[in-house]
Amino acid sequence: MKHDIPTRPLVIAAGLGRNFPARHGLIGRTQDVWAVRDVDLAVARGETVGIVGESGCGKSTLGRMMLGLEKPTTGTVTFDDRDLSALGSAERRGLSRRMQMVFQDPFGSLDPRRSVGAQVADGLKTHAIVPAAEVRAEVARLLEQVGLPASAATRRPHEFSGGQRQRIAVARALSTRPDFIVADEPVSALDVSIQAQVVNLLMDLRRDLDLAMLFISHDLHVVRHLCTRIVVMYLGRIVEEGPATQVFGSPAHPYTRALLAATPSLHPRRADDAGRVLPGELPSPANPPSGCAFRTRCPIASEACAATIPPLNPAGAGWRAACIKSRPGAEATP
Amino acid sequence: MLRYIALRSFVALFLVWVVVTIVFLLLHLIPGDPAELLLSQGSIAADPQAVAALREKMGLNDPLWQQYLSHMAGVLSGDLGASFRDGAPVIDQIALRLPRTFEVIIGAALIATGLGVPLGTWAAIRADGKADAVISFFASAALSTPVFVVGSVVILIFAQELRWLPAGGFVAFSEDPVEHLKLLLLPAGTVGLNLLAVITRMSRASVLEVLQRDYVRTARAKGLPRGEILRRHVVRNALIPVVTVLGLEMGTLIGGTVLVEFVFNWPGLSGYLVSAVDARDYPEVVGIVMTISILFVFLNLVVDVVNALLDPRISLVTT
Amino acid sequence: MNAAARKLILPGTIATLIVVIVLAAPILPLADVREMDIPNRFAGPSAAHWLGQDEFGRDVLARLIWGGQASLFIAVGSALAAATIGTTLGLLGGYFRGAVELLTVRAAEIILCLPPLLLALLVVTILGAGTWPLILALTILYTPNYARVVYAATQQVRGLDFVTAQRAMGTHPLTILMRTILPNVMPPLLVQMSLIVASAMVIESGLSFLGLGVVPPTPSWGLMIRAARSAMEVSPLLLVWPSLALAGTILTFNLLCDRLQSALDPRSITAGGALWLRRRTRRAAPAPVPATDQPPLLEIKELSVAAQDLELVRRVSLTVRPGETLALVGESGSGKTLTGLAMTGLLPDTLHVTGGSALYTGRGGDRIDLAALDEDAIRRLRGNEISMVFQDAAAALNPVLRIGDQVAEAISAHQTLDGAALQNRVLELLRHVGIPDPERRARANPHELSGGQRQRAMIAVAIANNPRLLIADEPTTALDPTIQAQILQLFAQLKRDTPEMGMIFVTHDLAVVAEIADRVTVMYAGEVIEEGPVAEVFSCPRHPYTAALIASVPEGGAERLVAIPGTVPSPRNMPEGCRFAPRCAFVQATCRENVPPATRPSIDRITRCFRWEEVT
Repeated sequence: MKHDIPTRPLVIAAGLGRNFPARHGLIGRTQDVWAVRDVDLAVARGETVGIVGESGCGKSTLGRMMLGLEKPTTGTVTFDDRDLSALGSAERRGLSRRMQMVFQDPFGSLDPRRSVGAQVADGLKTHAIVPAAEVRAEVARLLEQVGLPASAATRRPHEFSGGQRQRIAVARALSTRPDFIVADEPVSALDVSIQAQVVNLLMDLRRDLDLAMLFISHDLHVVRHLCTRIVVMYLGRIVEEGPATQVFGSPAHPYTRALLAATPSLHPRRADDAGRVLPGELPSPANPPSGCAFRTRCPIASEACAATIPPLNPAGAGWRAACIKSRPGAEATP
Repeated sequence: MLRYIALRSFVALFLVWVVVTIVFLLLHLIPGDPAELLLSQGSIAADPQAVAALREKMGLNDPLWQQYLSHMAGVLSGDLGASFRDGAPVIDQIALRLPRTFEVIIGAALIATGLGVPLGTWAAIRADGKADAVISFFASAALSTPVFVVGSVVILIFAQELRWLPAGGFVAFSEDPVEHLKLLLLPAGTVGLNLLAVITRMSRASVLEVLQRDYVRTARAKGLPRGEILRRHVVRNALIPVVTVLGLEMGTLIGGTVLVEFVFNWPGLSGYLVSAVDARDYPEVVGIVMTISILFVFLNLVVDVVNALLDPRISLVTT
Repeated sequence: MNAAARKLILPGTIATLIVVIVLAAPILPLADVREMDIPNRFAGPSAAHWLGQDEFGRDVLARLIWGGQASLFIAVGSALAAATIGTTLGLLGGYFRGAVELLTVRAAEIILCLPPLLLALLVVTILGAGTWPLILALTILYTPNYARVVYAATQQVRGLDFVTAQRAMGTHPLTILMRTILPNVMPPLLVQMSLIVASAMVIESGLSFLGLGVVPPTPSWGLMIRAARSAMEVSPLLLVWPSLALAGTILTFNLLCDRLQSALDPRSITAGGALWLRRRTRRAAPAPVPATDQPPLLEIKELSVAAQDLELVRRVSLTVRPGETLALVGESGSGKTLTGLAMTGLLPDTLHVTGGSALYTGRGGDRIDLAALDEDAIRRLRGNEISMVFQDAAAALNPVLRIGDQVAEAISAHQTLDGAALQNRVLELLRHVGIPDPERRARANPHELSGGQRQRAMIAVAIANNPRLLIADEPTTALDPTIQAQILQLFAQLKRDTPEMGMIFVTHDLAVVAEIADRVTVMYAGEVIEEGPVAEVFSCPRHPYTAALIASVPEGGAERLVAIPGTVPSPRNMPEGCRFAPRCAFVQATCRENVPPATRPSIDRITRCFRWEEVT
């Protein structure tokens, strides 16, 4: 049941923005700090969209807004044709059956004081997924689905390793039989050998359950491996979006190119050592550069870049990039 | 920095006003008529006519809001009013008694910091050793013994049994400086013992925490000598929370030395407050509470500023 | 039961004993507390009156026990009442924030602005002295304390992922409060509770002592002390009993609170203080090892590190030659960081080197065993010949010292430079590590720099004295990709500038190893399992673990990643034979029974596998 061409996106974000105004002093002026700005994004069933970017680029905030956990300052999130911000709190809680989250920290995402089974059963009970008598059997089934023995249900989270906890978190997310899952850096805190276990699990689930998934990560290798579509963010905005093969194969935006070049590889290209390192630091979201936010570090920036914020222009089929100089494929990485 | 202090002072004054208002209203809820209390002697009831006349004179027959407004107007013009009991200006009594309370508190603070920081640091370095066990136990014991117990016991030992120091009382410094200091020693020492326990425990915990910090390991990795690490990296960082605690403790003590003043017959501010409440002397109570609140809030401000000087991560500058 | 829980037994037992005796007062064969016996006033201890008689000839023991009942009732009663109200306010304020916070926690905090004595005084004056007004006064007094503590804890827990998970699950907010947040704020609440019982006893007895609390003839410890004071000259013992009872009870509750805190919050236990700060007996300087022709810079032989009986690093051997970069790679728990700390004498106090040697060739050409040096001797090497760069620069730099001063003290620890020369050297170093505008940055505090610049400053500290050996412990792990690339470039530049310097690069990231290192040592569960030149090891691993590790990196076109099943064994349950055997795809009977020896597949490769020839 693989959807090659998704018919209608399940989750649609339009003009999404989130402002965390910072106040200076007790009665000082407030200053706008936009964590996310003007993001348009759609996720369809059977699709895994990877969001990559460095810390502070707004990828986690975007993920939480897509789930309705964070209220957007501007724009809307539509889930299955329903506007999340227009829903009442009870309605919103009902809808949350269909959208779930997997977190980064395997030690913080499970309540240390309750048994694994009780936590996996929470969703089953809240949304009455199965009759009360079948809850135990369903918990066992869910745990087995993520590769844990059914006996795990009676134990407390601290008895498990990081990778196992992360699978429990996945089992908890799956308990409500969701259509949409946001995974926020689910493998970043895990060791490499364990990371592969969880990545494989997520790939199987996407295939078997026809899930729409938003996969947030700073690890380009994992994203490339797992995702069908890639969204690259810089300082709160999408700078490039498109099919994984294109975005990572022949990036259209200089930031995507720089990010790929900066990622260490098992097969390093030592020759162009100096050229591939991006100079400078991430600007503060409180005080972003005018025009294109990336221009201060961009190797090909010119005066025109400071004038206006570049729009996301098509770079190919289902492929957009926010760079006035973008020539897809022209400067592909070797 | 100055802007921050100005802003904080403004908030502080607002808080003082809230406190004074609450106290003013609460006082009038207290059963008991100050005029009647003033005129009655022992069990003999006061003459109702005289009471009524006195009430009129004191302004107690006005509506509450009028009393409140006229009192506040006086406070704003710097006049705390006259005592019901003897008609003397309240501000004079406060000016007389506040320095005496300060003497006790500052004496206690000197004892506490001078001994507490080194003791706490030592205990932390020797954590789980014998020295630590002894210091920690005595700190816990001193913390657990109420001041009036300590006070009574030191009187028993130093005044009654050993006869080294007077049991209590007060002589002005200008009259007899030596006797004044002798009389100060026991009350200040009693409060100081309690504060010493607080500071020792706090220093110990704080130093222990700092010792686990990565930057101490960095300092060792640099090959710095022990003393240097201890002074520049450990104690300096550990002092930050200790200063906060010391400031807050001193703030609480300004109105909280009543037991010590009672035990040692030391005529300070707290004892004055108790007797003022007892006599329903509204101008006195409001005046004392205001003084205590202002000092309390001001001390908090000083603590914040000192902390900002010690720890550059705290920014007082408003942009 | 752990040590922290064991320490609870003593104060716990005493507290229970006090409560039981005091509760049992009505059924104990005690004398009547009001029965006076004027002729025998101030009588000393006797068979009928164990602790003697007071100023009215009443039995002191009976009054002591009944007085305890009054004190404890008031203290525990007000602590419970304040806990209930304060916890509710704190939970609501901490979870819902905004207007709710203002109405609950902030409103309660106004009470904290009133002098506590005055508040108690006012309540007692309004309602009259006695037990119930006291409880009310103390409840009002302590409610904001609980509200604050619970508020802070709630805020902390509220941001944790498992609470967000509950929200994402669509759980009702009140259910989240009761089921998820309340149990998790219990530890600070319990601690606060025992603290407040003790504190309430102090205030209650104080007020009773002043005559504003418990009304006579009801016995109370405060009242007994008050009465004893006036009779101090006649019978000093009368003062001693209630004082002891009062202080002892409060001490018990305070101790209970302290120990409860360390039992409930294991992070607060900081074992041992600082051994390195105590003067220990000096060790004899180890005998110099005869120098060979071209000795390696560092030669670690069979080094083991243990915590008490738990061996965390076992017989690790590795060699670093001058100018060489050795990557020490492994997953969490592999012992790679401990190995790095062990050779600089920076192991935590609970760990120590249990065997082996670390032969280092110093500037003068002499070979020294680092593992045998005492603190003073190794201090002279640290930061001078051997330097370290740590992972988290934000934590590794002192937050209250300026960057320039932190670099300067690293220099002056080993060299004598005067003011201007020192300052110039600091600026030169900062410039060297690529910090822009070094004059200004030298005066900055660590928090004013970005993550990348802090790590550069950390590196400046490490290279301040031109070390011969640089140990970098995960120096780029906490950084973003583009910044990580900058720092890796800086390390590469340092290597070019100082060709004699050897470097140990501790990391978990195989790709970083490929970028920076010449040789790689792979560690697993405290042991070295493979070693060799980076290119060779990566292209042709000689150990199944290394092979699986490389295959699990999602790089290259494999449709499915190779995952290593299971988890790293814990030091308590190390497998008998090969430590990787339980997870190994090529395991045989011998692997489970015997420890594989280090074998050399080629001249500069090492593997610790029985079947390396077949499996690779």
